[in-house]
Amino acid sequence: MPSVQNELLSAHIGMFDPGNLRRIDWGLAVLALALAIIGLITLYSATYGAAQSESIEEVSSLSWSASFREFFSMFFGRQLLYFLLGIAIAGIIVCTDYRILISLAPLFYVAILGLLILVLFAGHEARGGQRWLNLGIFNLQPSEFSKIVLIYMLAWYLSWLGPRITKIRYFALSFVLVAIPCALVVIQPSLSAALAMIPIVVVMLFASGCRLWHLGAIIVVGLIPLAMVGMQVRTFQEVGARAYEERSYPLGLKLKGYQIERILTFLDPERDPQDKGYQSIQMRITVGSGQMTGKGFGQGTQTHFKFLPEFHTDMIFALLAEEWGFVGATTVIGLFLAFFYRALALARACTDPAGSLLAVGCVTLLGFHAFTNIAITAGMLPVTGMPLPFLSYGGSFYLATMMCIGTLLSIHVRKRFFE
Amino acid sequence: MIANPEKHRYEGFERRISFMRAVFLAVAALLILRLGYLQIDQGETYADRALSNRIRRIPLRSQRGMIFGPDESIVLASNRAACDLFIVPNECEGHEEEVTHLLERLLSIDGSELLDTIYAHRNRPYTQIPIKRDISRAELTQVEEMSFALPGVFAVVRPQRRYLHGETAGQIMGYLNEIGREELDRMPDYRMGDFIGRSGLEQAYEPVLRGRDGRMVVSLFNMGVPQMRTDSFGNPMMESDQRGRRVVVEARDDPTPGDPIFTTLDMPLQERAEELLRGGQGAIVVMNANTGALLALASVPSYDPNVFVGASEKNQIRQVRDLLTNADGLKRMRHRAIQERYPPGSVFKVMMAVAALEEGLISSSSTHSCGGRFSLGRTSWQCWQRGGHGSLDIVDALAFSCNVYFYHTGLALGIENINKWSALMGLGVTTGIDLPGEIPGLIPSPEWKDEYYAEVMNRWDRQWHRGDTVNLSIGQGHCSVTPLQTAVMMASIINGGRRVTPYINLHHGPRVSEPFISEETLEIVQKGMRKSVTKQDFPSGTGRLAHIEGMNIIGKTGTAQVVSLSTLERFETEDGVPGNIPNHAWFIAGVMDEDPPLAISILVEHGLRGSTGAAPLARDLIEFFYTERAQEITHVARLHED
Repeated sequence: MPSVQNELLSAHIGMFDPGNLRRIDWGLAVLALALAIIGLITLYSATYGAAQSESIEEVSSLSWSASFREFFSMFFGRQLLYFLLGIAIAGIIVCTDYRILISLAPLFYVAILGLLILVLFAGHEARGGQRWLNLGIFNLQPSEFSKIVLIYMLAWYLSWLGPRITKIRYFALSFVLVAIPCALVVIQPSLSAALAMIPIVVVMLFASGCRLWHLGAIIVVGLIPLAMVGMQVRTFQEVGARAYEERSYPLGLKLKGYQIERILTFLDPERDPQDKGYQSIQMRITVGSGQMTGKGFGQGTQTHFKFLPEFHTDMIFALLAEEWGFVGATTVIGLFLAFFYRALALARACTDPAGSLLAVGCVTLLGFHAFTNIAITAGMLPVTGMPLPFLSYGGSFYLATMMCIGTLLSIHVRKRFFE
Repeated sequence: MIANPEKHRYEGFERRISFMRAVFLAVAALLILRLGYLQIDQGETYADRALSNRIRRIPLRSQRGMIFGPDESIVLASNRAACDLFIVPNECEGHEEEVTHLLERLLSIDGSELLDTIYAHRNRPYTQIPIKRDISRAELTQVEEMSFALPGVFAVVRPQRRYLHGETAGQIMGYLNEIGREELDRMPDYRMGDFIGRSGLEQAYEPVLRGRDGRMVVSLFNMGVPQMRTDSFGNPMMESDQRGRRVVVEARDDPTPGDPIFTTLDMPLQERAEELLRGGQGAIVVMNANTGALLALASVPSYDPNVFVGASEKNQIRQVRDLLTNADGLKRMRHRAIQERYPPGSVFKVMMAVAALEEGLISSSSTHSCGGRFSLGRTSWQCWQRGGHGSLDIVDALAFSCNVYFYHTGLALGIENINKWSALMGLGVTTGIDLPGEIPGLIPSPEWKDEYYAEVMNRWDRQWHRGDTVNLSIGQGHCSVTPLQTAVMMASIINGGRRVTPYINLHHGPRVSEPFISEETLEIVQKGMRKSVTKQDFPSGTGRLAHIEGMNIIGKTGTAQVVSLSTLERFETEDGVPGNIPNHAWFIAGVMDEDPPLAISILVEHGLRGSTGAAPLARDLIEFFYTERAQEITHVARLHED
């Protein structure tokens, strides 16, 4: 490709060009929009479903401004605001050249580290862990944004690195980049947010052409014990402490009951140690009772009658599975899968290594959250606070998700000019 | 600034992306499989569990049926509306102290204790906290008047059993209390907290009186405890749980109240009978001789079944416990007319006379000579008249209650005939009255004796001897009957020889047998019993104190020795009184040629002698029933006519 032509094209597509909005990948955008709308519908049910007017007291006729305020103080209203805000942010990202953002990544990285440190001192504590900064109308959770910053940072580092990634010291250095925000998030404490960073780095290294045995060694050292612990923790949650004591695992590699209790409390600080698997039982009842076609919009009994806690945030998929049944749940999984397929196709099509790495990172972030969350809801993994992209209520993660979407669309807009 | 697009990705990139796609596909497939297992394979099980999670069935208790006299104008047991006062902390928020202070003044309760309770319910502010159970009407009025100053205070109405006559006919009414845990296993229709009839009519007619409970099916929030209120008509309703969350009533099945029962009891007569016995212990049966309808069935001392109703009050708990454990030794819970047995004494002679006449062993002209004692082998028995009665026939033997005559008669009859006729006339067998817990009493027989003494006597001594028959002939020995049995026997004498089944539920009778005693026999026995009452000059009849001029009253006295040696010993040790325990006094009477003809049986424990201890009571009752009551009845009838 002659470089003059390239220069012309570059000139044509500026660093910030609102015209890019017309050139986005509409397939990817429609899939994302579909998921976001399903998310809003589900949250509408969570907010105004069958029994949500739980108080017997009559709501005195509110003035228009009061009811307006009330609407936007409810989950649905707020999420609608996040949705609109997210679209705006995604639009800005689409208009901006992602390469500029990548080149600014170290700056973002330092900034987010600063926020993560700040939140340790000035942050408000909610639900036992999960610190946030109170910005008046909006509670900022730096840990959620640190994930996407990490993606940009790794894309910057790995694309700068190029083929040198095969050298183990550069390979190891990328883990150092992850370890710092990871450690800051862990001491918040928010283990699940830290946990989500690990697949990002692993997959981005994998995509950047690192040596497989390096990665294999890391996985054996880190992931296999983690998976074993996870299995045992899940079994513990399912069968309860007493039955767990009677089980045996190969080679005597078995955690003690109290150790598991500690891990569980770490994973879910709000957990009641006395509940003996109450939540995981209710979770399965909720999902299972949806049966084939579900109980209908707004008719979920398990969720609306509060048998399943936190059903508007991390457990939102249970509400979806209860009200729309197997059909609805499978549709959402299918939409996610289609979205990830298309985003990976984009990563493959993008000839710019930095762009494709960025795309891989975004897909990993969303994919890991989506499938882990659904697996938890379906009782396949221990209960941890892992939000579901597009569906879970919560501003910071929602905006982080929209930033991922904007990044992916932005890569698509520019990938053509490198073909 | 812009990254160099000439920089190329390494060659294996596309393969690695394909691998990632495969991983995504595999994970998605795994998730879908898992969801299929949960939602399709196990879906129904989980749907059931979701339903039982949320749905509760709340019982609505039925109103217990009322118990009336012969018609609805006389109420024996009804349900009154008991008002329980509750407070909901949420609704009085900010005024807790004033409200509790005012409540303390109005209801004389411990206000600070209530205040503490209210504060303890901070996180369940819609819980109904009981202030005072069963408040009086005056208290309710006061609370209602002050309602503007008592936010969150409201009354819940529930039906509570009330026995309007208190102790009168207490044992007949029976009582209610909460069903026990182990009973619930046997009775699937009952639930924890249900009340069940424990004795008397309440127990006998439990299925009729109870009705059918309804229920309310409600949807609840997690950990929700529904709070029941009553609307202004006293109907239960449900709006919220203890945290103020909505309770959705999905379905409602209203309870069916229990059916009323009407009784044969003549309450003024019953009251009079109990009055006559009061101060001592005893039983009186007044029965319509033609039908078996019981007009009075008195047992004194009695108890007030209302005590069991509000047994949550502290002093009542003690009263109930004292009653159930027979703390005062007076056996108040026991209806002496059907649940206590007494040696019949000379009352037994009526049956003996009928048996001997019916079996053709004696006739109206048969005479025996009484010299005051009767010998058999080496043993001798005395007549109560030490000097003897001289030569007398069956009529005089009944009128003067001669023992010797009946010793002879008993030996002539033999034990088989005595057993046969006892059973025929209703002695020593249950009468079949529609009250629970009736005991049969005992008429000894050779088989009984053999069995009874099997452990302590040799075979010879266990055999039935003629001496045993002699003893039994005048109703002594191990022979024992209930007052109601003697009334049934009495009825047969004046109703043409029919056996009646006594009853209290108006719709449970009458059940009367065909005559089994001949007219001739009855005439002779009636003649003897009439002479017992009417012969006023010396030698007077034993029942002469029951005589009323112008009425055809027949009767038979009885004086039962309190024989049991063990009883004597017990009395001695308890109060140091020497062993001379007064005899029980019996009198059975029949009022003929009246409507209705009455069969009366009176037993006064330790009444000394039937002639003086029991016969005068019969006279009082008969006078009361046929004169005072008759006037009252005609008076009422006239009122109705007007």
